[in-house]
Amino acid sequence: MKVMLWLVCAGLLAVPFQDPAGALGASRAAPDFQRQIRPLLADRCFPCHGPDAGARKAGLRLDSFRAATADLGGYAALVPGDPAASELVLRITAEDPGDRMPPRKSGLSLATEEIALLERWVAAGAEYPEHWAFVPPAAAAPPPVADPDWARDPLDRFVLARLEASGLEPAAEADRPTWLRRATFALTGLPPSPAEIAAFLADPGADAHERVVARLLDSPHFGERMAQPWLDLARYADTYGYQSDVARRVWPYRDWVIQAYNENLPYDGFVRRQIAGDLLPGASRGDRLATAFQRLHRQTNEGGSVEEEMRVEYVADRVNTFSTAFLGLTVECARCHDHKFDPVSQLEYYRMASYFDDIDESGLYSHFTSATPTPALDLPAPEQEAALARARAAVAALEPGAADWVGSLRLEPLAPDAHWSFDARAENGYADSVDPARVAAAPAGVRAVEGRTGQAVAPDGDSGLRFPGVGEWRRSDAFALAFDLYLERPLERAVVLHRSRAWTDAASQGWQILIEDGRLSAALIHFWPGDAIAVQTAEALPLEQWLRVEVVYDGSSRAAGLRLRIDGEATATAIVRDHLTRAITGGDPGAPTLGERFRDRGLAGGRVDELTFYSAALPADPALRAARRARDDLLDAVPQIMTMAATPVPRATHVLQRGNYLQPGAEVRPGVPTALSGPESAVPADRLELAEWLLAPGNPLCARVEVDRLWRAVFGRGLVDTPEDFGRQGTPPDDPELLDTLAVEFRASGWDRKALLRRLVLSASFRQSSRADAARRRADPDNELWSRGPSFRLPAEMLRDAALAASGLLVPRIGGPSVMPYQPAGLWQEKSGQVYRADTGEGLYRRSLYTFWKRTSPPPAMRILDAAKRDVCVARRQSTNTPLQALVLWNDPQFGEAARVLAAAVLARQGDDDSRLDAVWLRLAGRSPIPAESRVLRELLAAQRQVFAAAPEQAAALLAVGAAPPTSDLDPAEHAAWTVVCSTLLATDAFVMLR
Amino acid sequence: MNAADASVPLPLLDRRRFLADGTLGLGTAAMAGLLPGLGRGQDPGLHHPARAKRVVYLFQSGGPSQLETFDPKPLLNERNGEQLPDSVRQGQRLTGMSGNQTSLPLAGAQFQFARHGQNGIWISELLPNLAKQADKLCIVRSMHTEAINHDPAITFFLTGSQIAGRPSMGAWLSYGLGSANQDLPAFVVLISKDKGGQPLYARLWGPGFLPTRHQGVQFRAGGEPVLYLDNLPGIDRDTRARMLAASRTLGAAARESEGDPEIDSRLAQAEIAFRMQTSVPEATDLADEPDEVFELYGPDSRRPGSYAANCLLARRLIERDVRFVQLFHRGWDHHGNLPGGMRTQCAETDQPSAALLVDLERRGLLADTLVVWGGEFGRTNYSQGPLTATDYGRDHHPRCFSMWMAGAGVNGGLVHGETDPFGYNVIQDPVHVHDLQATILHLLGIDHERLVWKHQGRRYRLTDVHGKVVRPLLA
Repeated sequence: MKVMLWLVCAGLLAVPFQDPAGALGASRAAPDFQRQIRPLLADRCFPCHGPDAGARKAGLRLDSFRAATADLGGYAALVPGDPAASELVLRITAEDPGDRMPPRKSGLSLATEEIALLERWVAAGAEYPEHWAFVPPAAAAPPPVADPDWARDPLDRFVLARLEASGLEPAAEADRPTWLRRATFALTGLPPSPAEIAAFLADPGADAHERVVARLLDSPHFGERMAQPWLDLARYADTYGYQSDVARRVWPYRDWVIQAYNENLPYDGFVRRQIAGDLLPGASRGDRLATAFQRLHRQTNEGGSVEEEMRVEYVADRVNTFSTAFLGLTVECARCHDHKFDPVSQLEYYRMASYFDDIDESGLYSHFTSATPTPALDLPAPEQEAALARARAAVAALEPGAADWVGSLRLEPLAPDAHWSFDARAENGYADSVDPARVAAAPAGVRAVEGRTGQAVAPDGDSGLRFPGVGEWRRSDAFALAFDLYLERPLERAVVLHRSRAWTDAASQGWQILIEDGRLSAALIHFWPGDAIAVQTAEALPLEQWLRVEVVYDGSSRAAGLRLRIDGEATATAIVRDHLTRAITGGDPGAPTLGERFRDRGLAGGRVDELTFYSAALPADPALRAARRARDDLLDAVPQIMTMAATPVPRATHVLQRGNYLQPGAEVRPGVPTALSGPESAVPADRLELAEWLLAPGNPLCARVEVDRLWRAVFGRGLVDTPEDFGRQGTPPDDPELLDTLAVEFRASGWDRKALLRRLVLSASFRQSSRADAARRRADPDNELWSRGPSFRLPAEMLRDAALAASGLLVPRIGGPSVMPYQPAGLWQEKSGQVYRADTGEGLYRRSLYTFWKRTSPPPAMRILDAAKRDVCVARRQSTNTPLQALVLWNDPQFGEAARVLAAAVLARQGDDDSRLDAVWLRLAGRSPIPAESRVLRELLAAQRQVFAAAPEQAAALLAVGAAPPTSDLDPAEHAAWTVVCSTLLATDAFVMLR
Repeated sequence: MNAADASVPLPLLDRRRFLADGTLGLGTAAMAGLLPGLGRGQDPGLHHPARAKRVVYLFQSGGPSQLETFDPKPLLNERNGEQLPDSVRQGQRLTGMSGNQTSLPLAGAQFQFARHGQNGIWISELLPNLAKQADKLCIVRSMHTEAINHDPAITFFLTGSQIAGRPSMGAWLSYGLGSANQDLPAFVVLISKDKGGQPLYARLWGPGFLPTRHQGVQFRAGGEPVLYLDNLPGIDRDTRARMLAASRTLGAAARESEGDPEIDSRLAQAEIAFRMQTSVPEATDLADEPDEVFELYGPDSRRPGSYAANCLLARRLIERDVRFVQLFHRGWDHHGNLPGGMRTQCAETDQPSAALLVDLERRGLLADTLVVWGGEFGRTNYSQGPLTATDYGRDHHPRCFSMWMAGAGVNGGLVHGETDPFGYNVIQDPVHVHDLQATILHLLGIDHERLVWKHQGRRYRLTDVHGKVVRPLLA
């Protein structure tokens, strides 16, 4: 028997035995297609006979009635009512391994019971009702029940009806302390305080529960609690992820989420703003801020990365996150091929992608500067905003009167800042003819060649000339550059002259003159492409002749103020970018350089002569420059955040074959999967219309997904077991009528989340005790019938927050930048050389959702307690149970310090051991201990008093845990003994579990 | 309920729960205790008999150059300084780091190669100690990968996908095989201390969508070897035992009133944690190793956290039946100053890597322990940056690179695969990353196509939908 067990287990692991239908031992009734047949077909057959046209074998589809009953040449896969004539039945029962389906090499198989199930389904007519989640929900009347008095809310009737049908009775109502602890954690993520417990226990009013719930929903901690699972979906993190994993400032988005929950922003508004806040008419700053949701994916700045390859990844992440968070669907498969299970084709995937491909972004964030990747939103503090308004007004007042000289200015008469003729190459290089002390060192790779007049320089593409002490211009400075240029051959790309640290893979700031596809371009850049001005000649430069190139800029930060002239003539130019709002001098750009740039393609095949820098002599208005500089100084100090901002000219989105950025296929128009919209409905044109499509009554998924999420937040388990997958491979809801009714009512309530949560926590279902004897557990092992109240281990954040709250250490301030509480030393260092510096003071004691989240080295205690990694969108955390969790609760100084401070707090009270134990229990478990519990802790207390009395140094060591000030007026042995008691309780069921 | 179980059909639940009770993946060990013959003897494997029971993966992060180690190219020395011919490059993409260089000069290795072992395998003078173990080495010169930058490449190597969120190789093994040890994790990670280089990321030993108990547990040098292992100051072992006893009594009371079997499970985890508090320090404390062993691994082995000390620690963990020990040694990313960099890296790793093979063999452990050495990609045959008489750099090169395996079930003294005379492309017996992964799993008794986890409606594997076992590597 034991050997059998091993073999069976090994076999199971190898080919997981699937029984999604729960059909084993089923009755002879016609099988339920949604719950029994579709999951079976999807799991065993659709890989080769499903929606994916690319993977389809033998041209056979089994995912629709029409296709499965189609004539295959005298026979059909399905003949409704006639299993013996159905090829499907013949093949799944075939003796010959060559004919048998699924084929052996697929690793899949059908159990005897499953085959019988399919046969019965065919015999009963092989009906194919649409997958439940793709049909809009319809409300059902609460079913009749034998004991209608039990129900406190119509939803309870659904629960009770299923219990009665299963021959079960609901559990008894939980006692008041249990319900209060449950409801308080559910709605605020914090434990009830002793005062709140006392008040509730003393409240004789019939509506005592209602008033508690009203208080909890009004608490500012409500938003913090609800934000936590949302931040898992939003893959919120304080660093970019990937290799260097640099910190980024995105916490204002977190504050927006918290506030949205606290203000009870209806779910439709919550969704609309995060998907398309930038496109709302009269979009406010908050509306735009909400779209940061879509920019929180990982980003890289790794040297040598291919920008487009990464950008394509970012768009894909936005599509996947949108689908998981709002539709409960996984569409990732369709990035490379048609979805194998759900009706999402590869074409439809890229049509969806085009909604999220509409911003002026780069696939790389800046390597050498801290510029916010574009599109970026300014988030000025109120005082900054007022000052900026004044500064902008000052600029606006001066601009109309300023002379428009940029188009007509002749440079030759002007006195240059500097001029290099390149006629005389000294040993140390070339001297400036204005100030001979300024010498451009000439490396061997820059040759002296015949120039337009005298000598010129010809770089080799890998080495350049640096011009010290000139050209260090800000964007408010007017400047001009002039030089003779001779191109020997067509150049696809060449860096002619620039002041910047690097380019293609580093997103550096500065000014630059390049040749791109033979054309001359000039640009001033804060962050490419979204914060820059750039112009480019319409025509390629002529070859094999000397040209006089002039670049003139008027200090306006506008593309119209940046001009190119060839041989004294204004040349036809195109504006490539016209949105410069920030400094161009960050990231240590060094001296202006000719012919070379770090990791860029230099000028090989060209000569340069008579290079002249101008700024002092330009006729720019000094008052205007001062006003602009004052404005810029203010603006550069205003923090930014990444957001969505649709480009005026849509970007072309292509199908990418096998998902590969190097293999673009046909260009696609925006669109949503037809299976979810119906072919006749209008196609959303942009993200805002996409949001409206999502929120329209005909959308089958949006309301269901959010209702399931709210239920999960309260009950610990959802109505659907696979919140990330409402599709055909997901688990169907145990009670579809309940889910659908709540979904319809939720929408009808104006998407009122607080109202739904109020119903849930006040329901009779939620009020049940979670206690259950073995017989009840056997009858409903996973509580799928809701035959008892919820019980689950507190999530990572709630455990830590509860310890902080119980000890009084919690700093309850809402919102703000992330903080750095205790973390074992060296974790960042050993991975990346960065150093984690724990906060001192308040930062140690803020709620856990404010803990700085570094993606490549997340807070270890949080991860051990199953917090999501925050690399990608996660709809459901795991809940595991490991030895490392015990070690965290025992030894993490955060918990140790909480035990010490809690011990001090109860010792400060008058009373005997029992009353103090009572106080500890009340704070950690929300109830008083039973006698057996008190007894064991009294014994522990007695033992530890002796230990610490005999070893005062051990007491002193324990009382030094954590940064909280010591409590000097207490007896150390007594305090240490109570610390041990509190620490013990922090690792026990009464604290760790929500029951 | 364990959320991970939600996607698992009912008949599997009981087994999964059984395994879940040992949340370091101790379930299999529990079964092994029930079954004679599952100890040190024949291992029936998950899908077929296993040649290897344990793995030490010596990951050389940054991409060590194959041209200075295992893949000599005299032609590069002959044509040193000449441009990389377009006929060799064939338009393949370069990174943005050297892709804009106007010149791509071929760079010959500055180190001598000689033949070693019975089969006369060419090995560089930088690796004198490994050269003495040539007969144990199964060298693959025809590795190739898809990624050209560190993050995607190393993620691809260790999780089978460039996309974040997939389980790491060790997590897959922990899931598939469980732990063979009662008191230690199935998957242990050791990172060389005080080494600069390309950053590492927790996802490289993460569980992905597998239950978090399968994630690699990092053993750290200095201080507590496992995070939070040490009791708070002032709490000694006896006090901890008393606290645990109190928890036990409280748990029994809660079990009585709540009826929830999860309480027992949590207590069992606490008991394991309590045992780990002694078993982990016992495993990681090298004090009982004789001088002769430190001499074998080299002088660095006395410095905790060094690669040498980690190799020695790996042997101790293997002795204790830890399933998968993953070392990370950074610093192989030699874009410039490659000759100097390679001298340093090889000096740090050559003797300890060789010593590990010797030490495992003489203890009879090499027969069922697989040792793997390699990085995430190779390096270009041309110089990144200037090529001088004494110096050059090499950029990332995914088209070909070398790795070696040794020990359980692999052909020692073998060189597999061949690259062209320029050392740019594989010309014979290419081995893709997924092939290597399939081969490692195969040696452990696992069919890589059948070790699956259903997630978001799809069955995932370490090898995605690719990978072929490289039979010629198998003994």
